[in-house]
Amino acid sequence: MKRHKVAAALALSLAVLVAGSAIAAMKMIPMQDIKTGFIYIGPVGDGGYTYMHDQGRTYMHEQNPDLPKSVIVENVPEGPDAARVTETLVRRGANVIFGNSFGYMDFMLDVAKRYPDVYFMHCSGYKTAPNMGTYFGRMYQPRYLSGIVAGAMTKSNILGYVAAQPIPEVIRGINAFTLGARSVNPNVTVKVIWLFSWFDPGKEKEAAKALIDAGADVIGMHADSGAAPQACEEAGVYVIGYNNDMSQFAPTKHLTAPIWNWGAVYDYTVKQVSQGVWQPDQIWWGLKENMVGLAPFSEAVPKSLVETVESRKKAIVSGEWDVFWGPIWDQNGELKVKDNEKMSDGEMLGMDWFVQGVEASIPK
Amino acid sequence: MTEPSTLLVEMRGITKSFQGIKANDQVDLQLKRGEVLALLGENGAGKSTLMNVLSGIYLPDSGTIDIDGKRLSFGSPHDAIAAGIGMVHQHFMLVPSQTVWENMVLGLPELPQVLPKAKIISDIRDISQQYGLDVDPEAIIWQLSIGEQQRVEILKSLYRKAQVLILDEPTAVLTPQEAKNLFHTVKRMTKEGRGVIFISHKLDEVMEISDNVMVLRKGKLVGIVDTKGSSKEKIAEMMVGRRVNLELDKKDIVPGKIVLSLSQANALSDRGLKALNDVSLELREGQILGLAGVAGNGQTELCQVMAGLRKMTSGKLFLNEVEVTDLPPRKLIDSGVRYIPADRKGTGMVSNMDVRENSTLKRYWRSPVAKGMLIDWKAVLKHAMGIVKDFNVDTPSVETPVRNLSGGNIQKLMLGRELSDVPKVLIAMNPTWGLDVAATRFVREQLLEEREKGAAIFLISEDLDELLSLSDRMAVIYRGKIMGMIEDPNTFGIERIGMMMAGTRIEDAGGAI
Amino acid sequence: MRLKTQKRLNQPIWLEIAIPVGGLVMAFLVSGVFLTAMGVSPMEAYREMYYSAFGDSYGLSECMVKAIPLAMAAIAVTLSFKMLIWNIGAEGQIFMGAIAAAAAARYFPSDNHVLMLFSMGSLAILAGGLWAAFAGYLKARWNVNEIITTLMMNYIAIHLMDYFVYGPWRDPASLGFPMTAPFPQSARLMEMGWGRVHSGIILAAILIFMAWWVFKMTRWGYEIRVIGENPKAATFAGIDYVKNVVVVMFISGAIAGLAGMTEVAGLQGRLQHGFSGGFGYTAIIVAWLSRLNPIAIALVAFLMGGLLVGGESLQIVMGLPIASTLVVQGCILFFILAGEFFRRYRIVIAKEDV
Repeated sequence: MKRHKVAAALALSLAVLVAGSAIAAMKMIPMQDIKTGFIYIGPVGDGGYTYMHDQGRTYMHEQNPDLPKSVIVENVPEGPDAARVTETLVRRGANVIFGNSFGYMDFMLDVAKRYPDVYFMHCSGYKTAPNMGTYFGRMYQPRYLSGIVAGAMTKSNILGYVAAQPIPEVIRGINAFTLGARSVNPNVTVKVIWLFSWFDPGKEKEAAKALIDAGADVIGMHADSGAAPQACEEAGVYVIGYNNDMSQFAPTKHLTAPIWNWGAVYDYTVKQVSQGVWQPDQIWWGLKENMVGLAPFSEAVPKSLVETVESRKKAIVSGEWDVFWGPIWDQNGELKVKDNEKMSDGEMLGMDWFVQGVEASIPK
Repeated sequence: MTEPSTLLVEMRGITKSFQGIKANDQVDLQLKRGEVLALLGENGAGKSTLMNVLSGIYLPDSGTIDIDGKRLSFGSPHDAIAAGIGMVHQHFMLVPSQTVWENMVLGLPELPQVLPKAKIISDIRDISQQYGLDVDPEAIIWQLSIGEQQRVEILKSLYRKAQVLILDEPTAVLTPQEAKNLFHTVKRMTKEGRGVIFISHKLDEVMEISDNVMVLRKGKLVGIVDTKGSSKEKIAEMMVGRRVNLELDKKDIVPGKIVLSLSQANALSDRGLKALNDVSLELREGQILGLAGVAGNGQTELCQVMAGLRKMTSGKLFLNEVEVTDLPPRKLIDSGVRYIPADRKGTGMVSNMDVRENSTLKRYWRSPVAKGMLIDWKAVLKHAMGIVKDFNVDTPSVETPVRNLSGGNIQKLMLGRELSDVPKVLIAMNPTWGLDVAATRFVREQLLEEREKGAAIFLISEDLDELLSLSDRMAVIYRGKIMGMIEDPNTFGIERIGMMMAGTRIEDAGGAI
Repeated sequence: MRLKTQKRLNQPIWLEIAIPVGGLVMAFLVSGVFLTAMGVSPMEAYREMYYSAFGDSYGLSECMVKAIPLAMAAIAVTLSFKMLIWNIGAEGQIFMGAIAAAAAARYFPSDNHVLMLFSMGSLAILAGGLWAAFAGYLKARWNVNEIITTLMMNYIAIHLMDYFVYGPWRDPASLGFPMTAPFPQSARLMEMGWGRVHSGIILAAILIFMAWWVFKMTRWGYEIRVIGENPKAATFAGIDYVKNVVVVMFISGAIAGLAGMTEVAGLQGRLQHGFSGGFGYTAIIVAWLSRLNPIAIALVAFLMGGLLVGGESLQIVMGLPIASTLVVQGCILFFILAGEFFRRYRIVIAKEDV
């Protein structure tokens, strides 16, 4: 089973087309009457992507003690079944529904059209409706910060990256990681191995080993299991996890990890609904809103380096700087983002090229 | 009780039912020391059930068994063997990959950890000399002929000190000489006071070997008669329940032209071994060509080659002087070649399909049954009803699955189907095997009738009496080779046919006539 | 005293009903113990399952939506099972049909609804059919085990589809997600005005009737039954085994391919990675439970749809994790399939026989 969390809105224009221009506020639902339903692509016990979403759900309940118990449906495939699960949730009384996988998009939208009084929130998609919004996180921000750690810690100046699928979300992460690393160590190059799968422990382990064999001494990753960190621990090579703190898989070699904090958006959504101010927004939150973050640093990371990371984080949170601000060159040395220019969200969401320093190609 | 009584086996009031049908109903059986008791009955009369009860395989519903005056507990094969019951089944219970002596001791209770091989072998040698059962104790089973394997089975029982030997249709797999040897062995055993129960269909050998004949019909004991004071006709009447005429009326016919001819045929068996070796045969109109031979000498393959169902490695097949080698079998069916296989249920019929569906197996693609791509089930029904009526098939309805019919009725249905288009060539293998007296007679009459109508008939049988009474000419097959052509079987002599069945060429068996 | 099994000579009507009912009762008892241990009232859970699937028009329509591809694929495998050819490859043939249908929509688009669906259907039939016929040819010509080949070809078909949806056919608007662009409206099966039920239901009904009619009325159906019941008798009657194996496999695959086409054209409207929920395999269970009877397939496919649809309610209403749902569903399937044994054999207490 694969899943396609990821990616987000192509362009706002597209979404506006679907959503229509004038949006009337929806009816307020008091907190004690909100019934949330969660549609998960994986099992809660996957220890990765769905697990983090469910942690966010728990956080939502902690923040809102009046909120009644939520309903979850696990392992829902990205096909016609998603429509039935969504519809059944509505029919069984759910009035705020979250779906955590990209492939649910059309099916959720279809149900949303038929139930205008029910709130829908779709993770990682780009289609909205008056009663359907989207949410995703600027994972590239903590990835950049983790890249700084990797760039400073490498001795061989070769970093490895275990990458799930050749799609913009993953490419963006690799670029951010590379930019972060080269900001402290311009000699760094990043090697990438594609998995063509979101969750495949066997392949993830093999990929990590291959990268280590190729000389990489710090491994970053965009995959859902703890297999790559395990391989790094065995080989004695530093690793940067993903999704959640993966130090349990590499107790001595795990440096930090860019992590999700879905609770921020879940808490926000139910509050908005209960106050009657919810809008079908395309939420794309970053470090500032605490939707993404970094796992605790290991003791191997020097104090001075932690300070560098913290100061860069402060700049991002305050909005005075962001990762994809020029100048940025691509692999061929072509200037892609000019000095003093910022990449738009739309450009970032469709990113299909590598920055300078990445030693890999994107399969077409 | 310690004195050996003359009464060896006494079964009393044996009743055994399967699914509410009584296979044995209050049957009594007595076997004295030194007696050969022939157990007769049509198929399904309950012979095998009774013997399986005696040898401990079946648990009867009621009744008692005493062996040598001691009560035998039911349903334990071990107890039965210990009490001295030995049974030689139709299908042998030997391990093919092991030696004769290993098979002898297999399953014996209280075997020592290290087998005293030398002693076992010398014991076996003693017994085989004593009874004229010539077998090498160190031979491996699969290398032995069927007749030798049967001797091993008998030896096994004797080695285990069997007092009562049950032989289930023992001669079906033997040449006449081998049968004769078997009878000698039986005589020697009875002389020593052992008892033999002999199950058979062949009335001739029953008359020859047995002291008394016990007849079962529909699970019930019909009667016990003294063999010498009885006759074949009488016994047959007891089995069937009415008078049967055993004589066949075979008319003299001048044979016509050659219809089917096989020249220099070579073919392999399913296992890839050479099954036919340069076989040449000719079938003529209005003539029955009989083929004698011990089972498994290439008869099945020969039938299949002649019916176009098996590819020859070399050789040619002609039908009405036109070569039909390697033509699809359906071409031969359409040209009037019909085949009654020995394996009725396995090859000739689809047991899970009903009488109606089976009746149309050889004609569903032709008018009037076929209507374009469809089958006209009304026409099929009419045809099936016709067969049931003309061939006296005893079936509850034409919608009864064939698996629920008795062997005789299946064979009648098959005959009805194969004969319904007036065949030009009829190949029939063991057509009366396992059938009761009346059905056997019916089948034989049908074959003679087809002969009168001008069909060229090839009859393969393991029953020499049947071949002799029906064939106009006879061939003998041994290891896939024709040992010779006998132009006048009835004067040729059964001894010489037996020699040919054992592999002697006709020239060496006294020459052609 | 020991237990032994005895083959039943026949299966009376009461047994045919008692066995599945008994299996269901056993399944409910066993999973009831499990549910109680999970702290859930079994009666309530079963009522919810039943209600979700069969309680209202929506539930029924969803069962029907599930039943359409299941029934079609079950007919496909039944055809081959009838002649003892074990086509385990319905899943792969469904994928090939879906790929072919998507190809038609992509390369020969037409605004004419009938023309479009016709070209999608024909290509799906051809693709599924040839896919299966290849395995059939290997079986007939060289006696290559068709269970292995059809099963292995499933993986090839699945990867072939991945190649297209990840590669050349990927929708540029999908942000790199493995899916084709949505089909044009002319390439969608029409809705029947009852939930998501689409006109594939008509196709399924026709196929069920056709299968019944072919087996019952045609010479070819008769031949298939003879081959299946007794291959030796078939050879004896001059039936061409080799030709029939290839032909039957082609048609079996063609029907499965058509099922794939109806699924993408009826429900999904595009080709996307992992589009079949494994119903090529579930169909084998459906065919088996139906005892290869086309009419029974209609009913069993619908009930199987109910089992799948009803299972979700355990999560939604009873708050059970997915694993518990799978246990209950597995229990029901296990006991019903196990019942098959008791249909054919009886257990007797005896010390006879060795």
